[in-house]
Amino acid sequence: MISTDIKTNVTGVTHLTDEAPQATLQVSNVTKRFGSGETEVIAVRDVSLQVAPGEIVLIMGPSGSGKTTLLLMLGALLKPSEGTIKLGDQVLSDLEENRLPDIRLRQFGFVFQDFNLLSALTALENVAIVAQLAGAKNSEARTKAATLLTDLGLSKRLNFLPEKLSGGEKQRVAIARALVNDPTLILADEPSANLDSQIGREIMRLLKRIAKEQGKSVVIVSHDQRIKEIADRVLWLEDGEFKEMVTMVTDPVCTMPVEREKAASAEWDGSPYYFCSQGCRREFLLAPWQYLNGSGQRVAITGDVAIA
Amino acid sequence: MLRLAFRNLFQNKTRLVMAVGGVGLALMLMLALDAVFTGAEKQLTAFIDRAGADVFVAQTGVRNLHMVSSWLSYSVVDEVRAVQGVDSVTPIMYVTGMVDTGKERNLAYIIGIPPDALMGKPWRVTEGATIPAPGEAILDRAVAAQSGLRLGDKVNILGQELRIAGLSEGTASITNSIVFISMSDFELMRGVAGKVGAGQDAQAVSFVLVKARPGEAADALAARIEGKVGGVTVQSRANFAEQERNLVKDMAADVLTIMNLVGFVIGLAVMSLTIYTATLARRAEYGALKALGARNGHLYRAVLAQALVSVTLGLALGLAFTLALSALIPVTGSNVALQVSGESLLKVGIASLIIAGLSAILPIRQIGALDPAVVFRRRIQ
Repeated sequence: MISTDIKTNVTGVTHLTDEAPQATLQVSNVTKRFGSGETEVIAVRDVSLQVAPGEIVLIMGPSGSGKTTLLLMLGALLKPSEGTIKLGDQVLSDLEENRLPDIRLRQFGFVFQDFNLLSALTALENVAIVAQLAGAKNSEARTKAATLLTDLGLSKRLNFLPEKLSGGEKQRVAIARALVNDPTLILADEPSANLDSQIGREIMRLLKRIAKEQGKSVVIVSHDQRIKEIADRVLWLEDGEFKEMVTMVTDPVCTMPVEREKAASAEWDGSPYYFCSQGCRREFLLAPWQYLNGSGQRVAITGDVAIA
Repeated sequence: MLRLAFRNLFQNKTRLVMAVGGVGLALMLMLALDAVFTGAEKQLTAFIDRAGADVFVAQTGVRNLHMVSSWLSYSVVDEVRAVQGVDSVTPIMYVTGMVDTGKERNLAYIIGIPPDALMGKPWRVTEGATIPAPGEAILDRAVAAQSGLRLGDKVNILGQELRIAGLSEGTASITNSIVFISMSDFELMRGVAGKVGAGQDAQAVSFVLVKARPGEAADALAARIEGKVGGVTVQSRANFAEQERNLVKDMAADVLTIMNLVGFVIGLAVMSLTIYTATLARRAEYGALKALGARNGHLYRAVLAQALVSVTLGLALGLAFTLALSALIPVTGSNVALQVSGESLLKVGIASLIIAGLSAILPIRQIGALDPAVVFRRRIQ
């Protein structure tokens, strides 16, 4: 049975106390509109979010929910129509366009679903080139790159071209590249999507280690349920808004999906069962074995979903 | 970024070979054509350059050798000899005519020289006489070889049958060869009455070749002769040769321009297509670099460097092809001589730079317009 233990609130805002460290990223009432008039589309609607140093925030949601748009705005690749995005002391949304590449280079580390390594460069060069873009000299950049790649377990792959690396190794190179300019925030777009489950888990644990040991804030956009394991917070974005996450289960009698937290429940043979109504509950209790196929409650048909 | 440019370029060997080969061939077209004309210029001015004269005296208004007719009274020879600064003079007769070898007819500068000629005679004779006696001709060795002629064989020049007495070298060009005959035979063939030479009467000569005294400047002597002798145009060897070259250039200018333009356009097309497709193939990577924080300037430099490296390699290949061609052609017995000049190299080098610059424009525009956000949208083709 799919369930969730994630605690979240509707806005996704972590309420910081005076003792809490200052948030790395502060998103306040951000809205993004595309088009105007009748063709206007609101991709992200009045979203607020704070990410603390060392915190891993996972943003999930269905396709077209605005996840990518939000990620682009967080990464200074897209300006919000309204609201502010603050990274440290800098208000990104107010910065001139020509200053943004430098911010991206030094303040952000990007990890992409498709790795996006430069195919003509070796693993070492893929990492070093980003340091060089930020002004590091060739030897300095190569040293930093070699150190990072060695830390990530790629000491024997430094001079390999991406085509000679496995998916997990490529993603490690991408993570080293994201770290080479010592960013404060790492933005990861579906980082485990092209990896098998074991490698995907390894990469996620690696991101968690980096976040916790180095105090880097990490925002991950993903459909991958497994990432929940390492996330400090999971936010559900749907129709451009953060929504509360609930667990959906299936009524064993009428097979309707029902919200577990609000459903009528009964216990039989040591397991809980949830129903759309008291009528279904009563019917179930009269002859439970008729509805279970010997395998307990039918699993939720939709798993975790969000409600407004 | 330069490393990236190099690696991008050399990663796809097929594309690199096609690009460099294509550009190399296009630039070779420009270089080889220039080399042919530079070689032809050298060949066409060979007689002027190698005749041994410092100054050339011709009929008024005659400033070059190719396809002209110059006739001077023989008295001019003595008048020129008398001018201060003149060391020696040699009168020659000249006409453009056909040499019939029996197998083929070749256009030739027919030079009539006196038996005691100090100048105007063949400068390099590989076999036989160095000055033709009456009834003899000295032919270019390559022309004779093409017709299978040897010393002692007969050729027909201006209607007279003459025996080959000598074979010269460096006296054939893409358009014609030079044949040396005796002045007396020339007079007979052309119907010029009278006699030439010391103590003999004469009516006309074509040019008077003048050797200046040591230390005498050729231009000053030419001016002095023109001032003292009436009805003549006098030029130093350098000026005379320059006039000849200009004439060749004038004749070839349109062809050269068109062929150079063709070469340029082919080179540009090959290069543009290569750089464009190479950039297109790496659009996602450029997008990722932009997302990571690379500025457009960084990426422009990478594209431009790829274009420059490709074109430079193409130029080197084109030059190598041309030099190989210039070494191979003489082996085939052809009279075409290829000579790569510094001027031509500079011109083609500049054309290459322009090709590199122009071919990078489209990809640069493409990169400039590339939205780094596409990396996240996964819509990059």
